[in-house]
Formats: sequence, structure tokens, C-alpha cells
Amino acid sequence: MYAFLTGPMLWLSFAICILGCAWRVYKYVKGLNWQLDRVAYGKYPDLAFKGAMKSIFHWLIPFASCSWRAKPVFAAAFFLLHIGLVIVPLFLYAHIMIVAERFGVSWPAMPDGLADILTILSILAGVFILLRRFALSEVRIITTRQDIMIMAISLAPLVTGFVAAHQSGDGNGWLLAHIITGEIWLIAVPFTKLSHAVLFFCSRAQIGIDFGVKRGGQRGSGIVW
Amino acid sequence: MFEKILFATTGSPECDSAARVAFDMARQYGSQLTLFHVLGIPGKGDSNVVIDIRSGEEVDVDAEYIEGVAEELRTTYAKQLEALPGVTIEVGVGVPSREVLRMARTKDVDMIVLCGPAEGQQAGFYKRGVVGDTLRKVAKAARCPVLTVSRPSASFWGGFSNIVFATDFSKASESAFQFAKTVVQAVDGELHLFHCVDLSRFQSPIALTQDGIEAKLAEARRRLHHEYATQLGDFKRFTSEVWEGTPYVEIVKFARERQADLIVLAHHARDVDPDERPFGSTLEQVIVRASCPVVSVNRPDKLPQAAEA
Amino acid sequence: MPEGIFCNKKPINTEAELKALLSDTRGTKYYEEMLSLEVDREKLWATIQKTCKSRTQTWLDVCARCGLCADSCFLYLVNDCKPEQVPSYKIQSTLGEMVRRKGDVDNAFMRHAMEVAWSQCTCCNRCAMYCPHGIDMGVMMGYTRGLLYSQGFVPWELKIGAGMHRVYRAQMDVTTEDWVETCEWMAEEQQDDWPGLEIPVDKEDADIMYTCNAREPKHYPEDLAEAAILFHIAGENWTVPSEGWEQTSLSMFAGDWEACKLQVENVYAAIDRLKPKRVIGTECGHAHRATVIEGPYWAGRPDGQPPAPYIHYVQWVAEALRTGKLKIDPAKRIKQTVTYQDSCNYIRNWGLAETAREILTYLVEPGYLVEMTPNKEHNYCCGGGGGFNGIGKFRPQRNKALLTKRDQILATGAKLVIAPCHNCWDAIRDLEEEYHIHIDWSFLKPLLLKMVIIPDHLKPQDEEGDEE
Repeated sequence: MYAFLTGPMLWLSFAICILGCAWRVYKYVKGLNWQLDRVAYGKYPDLAFKGAMKSIFHWLIPFASCSWRAKPVFAAAFFLLHIGLVIVPLFLYAHIMIVAERFGVSWPAMPDGLADILTILSILAGVFILLRRFALSEVRIITTRQDIMIMAISLAPLVTGFVAAHQSGDGNGWLLAHIITGEIWLIAVPFTKLSHAVLFFCSRAQIGIDFGVKRGGQRGSGIVW
Repeated sequence: MFEKILFATTGSPECDSAARVAFDMARQYGSQLTLFHVLGIPGKGDSNVVIDIRSGEEVDVDAEYIEGVAEELRTTYAKQLEALPGVTIEVGVGVPSREVLRMARTKDVDMIVLCGPAEGQQAGFYKRGVVGDTLRKVAKAARCPVLTVSRPSASFWGGFSNIVFATDFSKASESAFQFAKTVVQAVDGELHLFHCVDLSRFQSPIALTQDGIEAKLAEARRRLHHEYATQLGDFKRFTSEVWEGTPYVEIVKFARERQADLIVLAHHARDVDPDERPFGSTLEQVIVRASCPVVSVNRPDKLPQAAEA
Repeated sequence: MPEGIFCNKKPINTEAELKALLSDTRGTKYYEEMLSLEVDREKLWATIQKTCKSRTQTWLDVCARCGLCADSCFLYLVNDCKPEQVPSYKIQSTLGEMVRRKGDVDNAFMRHAMEVAWSQCTCCNRCAMYCPHGIDMGVMMGYTRGLLYSQGFVPWELKIGAGMHRVYRAQMDVTTEDWVETCEWMAEEQQDDWPGLEIPVDKEDADIMYTCNAREPKHYPEDLAEAAILFHIAGENWTVPSEGWEQTSLSMFAGDWEACKLQVENVYAAIDRLKPKRVIGTECGHAHRATVIEGPYWAGRPDGQPPAPYIHYVQWVAEALRTGKLKIDPAKRIKQTVTYQDSCNYIRNWGLAETAREILTYLVEPGYLVEMTPNKEHNYCCGGGGGFNGIGKFRPQRNKALLTKRDQILATGAKLVIAPCHNCWDAIRDLEEEYHIHIDWSFLKPLLLKMVIIPDHLKPQDEEGDEE
């Protein structure tokens, strides 16, 4: 079981995730239509590139957009959650060890203590965002089951991973749960809203190009995100 | 003398005096009279809604409503219309001053008759800065003479006979003079040439000495004679007078003294920015205060032809 | 009754149809018929499949439902933060549902969607700036309007407006003859004050071709006169086309893309015909949006540009002031508290915030300009954009929406609002009428005319007495 989950299943999960995401990006770009979208995508590469980069940058950096600054608490939770989901797994000692054992490549890991703190903060942020969904009427009304599911799928590997790392005793159960939830998460990425892992960049680039080449990017300082 | 007269009216009682003059004139001179009511700009964004002048409520402009308004005008002026066949009734939609000017241009009229300043200030709808004053704008831009009657006492008994021509010696005043001359000769009335030296325009104490003022008065008298009286040729029934003071006050006083039944003056070209004049232009003030109709003439385009009188 | 006499899926293409629909006062019958207008589900789904591509689909799918858009929407804020006014909800409950149900929606759904599309969104695009995914709900609402229009679910006034463009190539019944006549009239009316002033019609190879809003010749022709005077003072070599002078597009508000194309091609044809060096549009936001920003795409121009450089009036004013073509008498600058209304269509959506501010440095005595909060690209819609001003059915909603701008203006303490946009101008006039806050509002042209220094050689040579 363990061998299957960490062997073929893991491969499969990664393959589905990566290929699926690539497919989503391909479909996205292919579906862009200058006339329907009313954006001359290809005509002004410099402006387009600048617009896209600016658009992504301001939203990728904490508090670099007006919207993030307008909602500092949510922004903080948002970034903590994503750090826990993206940065921590990549730089977790245990993960790097596995890669090193199998492929012989390794990269610097973050201290376990820091990873623990970030994981806990990430889980708390996730819970906060979940609670916010129900507490605020403007978010409650747009919340769907998928949104809650996705939060569950995302938080599950964090929780299980954290427990697995800290339990005493034999603990195969938690580790297995961590691997399973992690793989579910990976497979879910291309098929659910989690596809925003890549589509965020597409969508942000698109609106950046829209504002950059068509809606003002050619004049003044362009859009102020 | 006036082939086509455009009478802009709301049909409300404030327009009664003007209506009397308009109908009387049309009868007297055999003019073709058009009654014109402007419904006000379709307000409220792009929609088709205007404010009904009577109820003050929002109504939709459709064929039915326009017909209703025309019918009301017909009822209001039933007696006059009976006495004077062939009157056209028109209803327009838009900014009143603009639509009156447009109609005057379309119909190529020889005279516009307006109600006094009270007209066009209903319901807070025609606002300063938005529409401005109908009268002021029409008087300034019209190609033809614009006759205004505002005070109920301002009446018109069977024709003009005693005409005051007030001048500021502007180019526009020359057209006003031509108008006054033609009318007075046609009706064989009496013409009073008048100018007021505007004391408020003199800032320096030297100019305001009695000698200074009298020099101005003498100069103005000379100009009245030179520029206007000489043009009257054989026509001898005229007087000329120069007073000093605030022009509108003196014009109204003079007209009262001479028992004038018509004041003719130009819309003063200097009054370009009405917003900066708290009491309005000389013309407006004369209109508000005079107890007879006031004609403003700015341009030579549509002066009455003496021969047709 | 699947199709009504007035309310149906067929656009208006003739004057007779237009008059007939106009005769249905306030669209009473029209809206009655709408209650039983059938939805052509197959056609709706086919249209969606053809036109709802990856951008829109992704926007719908990827929305994280985080609610950050809520506070960006002035209609949400002004309507007491009603959750139904959250932009994400508005689009997901209309377009989102339509797509998810593959077009299988009923009459009640479409009528509701119509109400949302035209009374709960002015397509100001402010939410696009606040969404982490860059989802532009204004753009999607515009798309939704197109779908609704194609099914006949469009407010009465906008069906008429789109029809006007189809019949007259103008948003109002102003014909070519009316227009040319108005140009002559205005030139004539100004001749005493401005000797030599002309409104040249159809002059080829001029430096500037000027286009305007049909409301100007129809109701405010002095706006055209003012434009002419300012070009005259600035010594510009300009012209207006006899055809293709109308820059606005109510068809854009209606979602009638076919009419949008017809309208904008009419303007572009004038550019091709007269070959001006550049084109200047009047002080109107949506006209600029329609003809300069979106128009090239409707007309199928892959570079996204009109046939000649096409600038907004504020750009010309800024340039004329900068280069000294127009000089302002410093003594006549505005010395009362004044604020500036940023039009969504050319400020947020075309980047002219700084250009407008440059003008203000010339017109307003330092210290008298008080900006609204928020302002520039982040400013709120006037409250009447996207066709909202003109729809009688949604007047109460519109009046409520005006409260945002009212409070913004009140907070500045300004007595004068400079609003170089017809829609904003109308909305501010309406809010003054509705709420009496004792403000003035103005386009740039009349303000400039009050302040500009008139070169001696342009003054009328009137031999006037020195007294009155």
C-alpha cells in the first residue's frame, strides 16, 4: 500500500497535476480571441509584457495592490495560507530528503521549527478564511460547496502532514493519510478551482494586457493596481 | 410690417400680457402668428421625461401628451384664436431658449414675442448654469427683433405710437434704431431718442466732476443728433434726450415720462458674461421694470421693411 | 405569445418600427409583452458556445468567491451592502447560471438577469481592479447584456437607443441635414462675436476632425459653438464630417453589437473619407469608449486602433494649454472649491487621470481643487453610467445610486464639479435635482471660454461707444 502510494500513485498524481495544468494553460491561451475579448494581444508585445508583469507582480507581493491594502487581515491570511501550501512543502526537510534519496538532487531546506510555525499559521489562516465565508454575508452568498471542498482538500495534507511529523509512536496511519490527501490535492489541481495555481497567472496576465495595451497602458503611468 | 410672428408661451397667466400684444400685433399687421410652447429638456438622463408646466410632475413626451398641450393652448387662447384665424400651434421639446431660436430660424420669423423673465423659471427646472435665462439667450442670439412683455400693466392699445429708442451707441444699437425708425414712420408715431451716461462706469474722480459729466452729456447729445437724428430725414416728430445715472433706471423713467408704448434697445453687447452681473443686464432690468413692451434688436438681418407697412 | 409586437428578438431597423416602439409610452406594453417572451434556448446556448471563450469561462470558473469585489462596487456599498449586490454574485447568478445550465433558462430568469445587468452594474470596471484574479465583472456584464439583447430582454429605452443608431447612425433622430444645418446655424449665431468663425463641414486633410454626441446638436447646440470658438481661438485647422459625426453608442449600453459595428464604421468611414491628421471627440466618456477603445474591435481592426489617432477632448485641451494655443487669464482662474469627476470610460479605462489633472493646474487657482475620495482610476462611477441614466424602469435604483457621488462631492465641500462627460454631467445634474446639495457642474468648454485670453486679432471690431 505504502509502496503503491509513494510509487506509481505519486508519479501518476504528479503527472496528472503537471500535464493537467499545462493543458489548462494551453486551452486558456488558445481560447483567447482578440476580437471577442477586444484586446489586441499580439500587436504590442512590449506593452503587453509590461502590463502582464505589472499585473502579476502587484498581486503576488503582499500588500502591493490597492485591494490587498484595503483588506489587510484577509490579505495576511491569504498569503499565510499560500505560503503553507506552496512554499513550505517545497522547502520541507522531509520532502527534500525523499527527493534526494530517489533522484540525488537536493536543495536547502527551511528549519523544521519555521516550517512548523508556517504550517500552523497556514492552517489557522485556512480556518479563518473558511470562517470568514460564513461570517460575512457578502462572502456567504457566493460560497458554494466546491469552495469548502477545496479548502478541505487543501488543508488536509497540511494537517495530516503536521500530525505525522509530530506524533510519537508508530504512526503509519497519519503518514499514509498525508500521502493520500497530498495526492488528492495534486490530482484536484487541474480539475477544480485549484487550477488557479496556473490560471491565476493567465488571468492576471490577461487583464494586465487588457489594461496595458488597450485601456490606458499607452498613456500616463497606466493602471494603478 | 411683421409678416411672421413667433409667440413663445407657456400658456400660463404670466403670459397673458404678452399674448395680448402678440395677438393684437398679428391682427394689426396681418402677420402670420405661431404659438410655440417648449416642453423643457427631456431631463433625467436620456429618457423621454419632461416636467409638466402645470402639475410640476414628470410626464412622458409622446404624441398624446403633445397633442394635449396643444389642445390646452387652444383652450387658453380660444377667444383670441377665434378672432384671428390661421394661427399655427407648435409644441417643441428641448431647452426653451434654444428651441425658440431654432423655431424662429426654421420659420424665418420677423419677430419673436416672449413673456417676461418670470417665464422659464418654474419648478427649479431651468437652472442657472444649466439652461440660463431663456430671455437673455434668445435676445442675444436671435436674428430678428425680440419683443418682451412682462408686467401685466404693460399693455398695447391698438398699435404703437410713442416709441423710445435707447442707445448705447453700439453697432447693435444701429440695427435697433433702424427698427425704431421703420416702425415709427409706418405708424406715424413719435420717436424719442435717448441715451443715458452710465455713471457707474466712471471710476476716476476727475470724470465724475460735474464738468466731466456735463462734457459727456454734451458729447452724447451731439452723437444722438449726428448718428441718428440725421437719418430721420423728413421725419420731424422726434425728440432727443440724454440723462445721466444708471441706464436701466433712467430708461424706464424716461419711458414713463414720455408715456412710451414701446421701448426699443439693443441687447447690450458688453453684457457678455451675465453671471457676473448680479442684477442682470440693462435689457433685462428694463424688461422687468418697464410698463410697456420692450423690443430688443441686435442685427440688421430681419428688420421690417417700411414699404410693406 | 412567444414574440410580442414591441418586445421581441428582432432589432429595430426602420424608422416606422422605431416610431411605433416610441409610441408605447414608458414601454408599458413592451414590458407587459416581455412577461411572456419565449427564450430561444438553443440559440442562446449556441451563442454562448460561440462567444464565451476561455477568458470569460475562466473568469467564471476560477472565481475564488472571496468577496473582495464587494467593497469595490459602489452599488453594493450604496445599497446598504446587500449581498445580492456583490459583483461576483451578480455575474454568477446571471451569466454563470446561463452557462452552467447550457442556456436552459426561462423567461423569469432572463427578466431577472436583465434587471441585474442594467440596474445593478454600470460596467464601470472598478471591480476588475480589486479582484485578485483580475476578473472584470463589468466586461462580463457587458457580454451578458449582449446575450440578453439577442433574446429580446433589454430595457425599452435601450432597444430604442440601439434602434436610433441603426436607423439614424445617431442616438437621437438627428439626420445629416439636421446636423449640417445646426453647424451652419451655430457658425452664423457666433459671427457677431467671432468674426471669421467657421464650422467647416467635410473639409479634407484637416488637422482635426471633430466628432460629438447627438445630444449636442439636438438639445445643446451651443456646445458645438463652444467647441468651434475654442478651435477658432487656438487657430486649429479643423472640420466636422457631414456623416459619421456621431461618436456615441447607446447600442453599446444595449449590447447590440451589430449596431455598434454599424455606428463605429460610420465614423471610421468619415475618417477614411476626410483623411484628417487626427480626430478629437467631445467631452463624453462612453462615446470615447465606443469609438476609440472598443470600436476598433467591433470594426475588426486587429491593431485595436481607429483609422487615425483619436483623442479625447481633455487631451486636446491639455495639449492646447501646454503649447499655449489656449492661454488662460490667471486672474480668471477658478477661485472657489472645485472638484473633478473622473469618468470611468476614459480615466480608469483609458488612462487620462493625469491629463485631466494637468488641465486643472491651468484652470484652478492653487489650493481650490479638492479631490474626491477615491479618485482617478479608482473613482466611483457617477451613478448613471452604462445606460443607467436613461432607463425609466430603473429610475429609483439609479436615484439611489446617485447617493455615492452626492456624498463624495459633499465630502469635498466643492461648489463646482467639473465633469467632462455627458453621462456624468447628466447624473450630477439629476442628483442636484433629486437631493439639492447646491452645487454647480460644468463641462470644460464653458469654463475655458470664461477664462481664455482672446487674441486681439480675433476680437470683434465693434465701434462701440465707451458708455452704455
